[in-house]
Amino acid sequence: MTGVFDNEFDLVKAFEKVKASGVQIEEVYTPYPIHEILEGMGKKTRITHAAFFYGLFGALAVLGGMYYAAVISWPLNFGGKPFNTFPSFLVVTIVATILIITLATLFTFSARAQIFPGKAAKIADPRATDNKFVIVINSETPEFEATSLEKLLKENGASEVY
Amino acid sequence: MTEERFVAPKNLKYFTYALITIGVISFAIGFFTDPQRTWANYLLNNFYFVSLAIGAAFFISIQYIAQAGWSAAFKRIPEAMAAYIPFAAVFFLILLIGVHSLYEWSHQETLATDRLIQHKAPFLNTPFLAVRLVIFFSLWILLTKLMRQTSLKEDIEGGLAHFHRSEKLSKIFIFIVAVSFSVFAIDMLMSLEVHWFSTLFAAKTFISAFLHGSAIITLIVILLHRNGHLNMLNRSHLHDFTRYMFMLAIVWGYFTFAQFMLIWYGNIPEETAFYVHRWHSPYQFLFYASIVLNWLIPFLLLMPRKTSRSKLAMIPVIVLLMIGYYIELYYEIWPATVHDAKFGLLEIGTFLGYAGLFSLVVINYLGKANLVPVKHPYLEESMQHHF
Repeated sequence: MTGVFDNEFDLVKAFEKVKASGVQIEEVYTPYPIHEILEGMGKKTRITHAAFFYGLFGALAVLGGMYYAAVISWPLNFGGKPFNTFPSFLVVTIVATILIITLATLFTFSARAQIFPGKAAKIADPRATDNKFVIVINSETPEFEATSLEKLLKENGASEVY
Repeated sequence: MTEERFVAPKNLKYFTYALITIGVISFAIGFFTDPQRTWANYLLNNFYFVSLAIGAAFFISIQYIAQAGWSAAFKRIPEAMAAYIPFAAVFFLILLIGVHSLYEWSHQETLATDRLIQHKAPFLNTPFLAVRLVIFFSLWILLTKLMRQTSLKEDIEGGLAHFHRSEKLSKIFIFIVAVSFSVFAIDMLMSLEVHWFSTLFAAKTFISAFLHGSAIITLIVILLHRNGHLNMLNRSHLHDFTRYMFMLAIVWGYFTFAQFMLIWYGNIPEETAFYVHRWHSPYQFLFYASIVLNWLIPFLLLMPRKTSRSKLAMIPVIVLLMIGYYIELYYEIWPATVHDAKFGLLEIGTFLGYAGLFSLVVINYLGKANLVPVKHPYLEESMQHHF
């Protein structure tokens, strides 16, 4: 079931009510992030942890790679500097680590969300990409009951329910 | 919003008096036994606390220019810290007496033989230094006083006019402070090693002032909250304070590393001299300690969302940052003046004295006005701040 709202306040009100009734909310589409919805959906992301470990791995890999190239595999003397010119390695490490984090996190996110270029978009209601606030409710849960839920959404300011 | 007044507990005031007494006694004994080392202490502590005040004043300006809403309720704390600048002005003028104990360029006999010092003499001479100090401090005092007055007037009259005026003053202040604090850092710290120069030094010192100023603002806010003031403080505010420390710690690390790396890689004798003199036992340790305390620990500890909004994690980081700034200045000043890494009761006593004085000034100025700017246009947004 899909409910369409005209403004944020009605949506949040209805959202709280639906949640209290025990029906599972599939997804909420809003033109901008809303704190109550973000917290209310209760979805935790672990992508920040993934990003941190990509960064750690990236930094060590880049440093290790440069150490191998400059010290072990092909040592060259530049102006009497030690082979392991650690401070100058750091610049490359910072930049390369940022690139590794960005790309690896992007790919992880795409894989988890099953998004790829050219995928046909699944849009609950075309107006959700415009100025409407759309709430999508899972109709397979045992608490789901179409008539009462439709009434509840309508009462809380939904301009349309289908 | 009801008015809220900060009344300093009697014990706290007596405590600051005790600290000031310790400082005065340390200086008195120090000037008799080891004047040069005492002057070095005098310079370090003066610079330490004036940086905090300038950092705080800069913090207010940034809030106005960015029209930041979240910090409106706390702006009296940086204001009270900026009130220390006039006291610092007096101390820095007294420092002119000790110029010979600190700055090599002020010695007539080296000036007579050293070509490089002769070349720099038109800028680095005691009368011109005095003139610069007077100009810088009068500008800083004038602008911070004007901003404070506008803020106090707003408390009574309300309206948007005072906000716009504060914003205008802030815009002037950041330009003036960018130039004047840079030259001030060059005069006071970089010219200790008169043959050495680094174009990044002033910027690094300024970032340091902003970083540690923000840390002290946070510390005072948390302490006030503990004692039953500023009840609106929530985790989102704490997170925003942490963001300042976290972001500035990264910038600090960037500037410090950039200065070191370019000098190390370029390997030009007149530039490397600075680090060569500091590449033996105690100072080499302090070099790493400064990086760990000022960058690594804030960077790692303040990164997770949980710790970045918890006072339990923030207070230790702030204390370490305070120690880190002392080490940073010690690392710059001591090898150029005292040479041996002496650290004892003199250093501890003088630092405690200044800490006491700074706290006393902040306490007094916090008590002089409403603790919360009751008619600040962004106050409501600040109270409701949440993300």
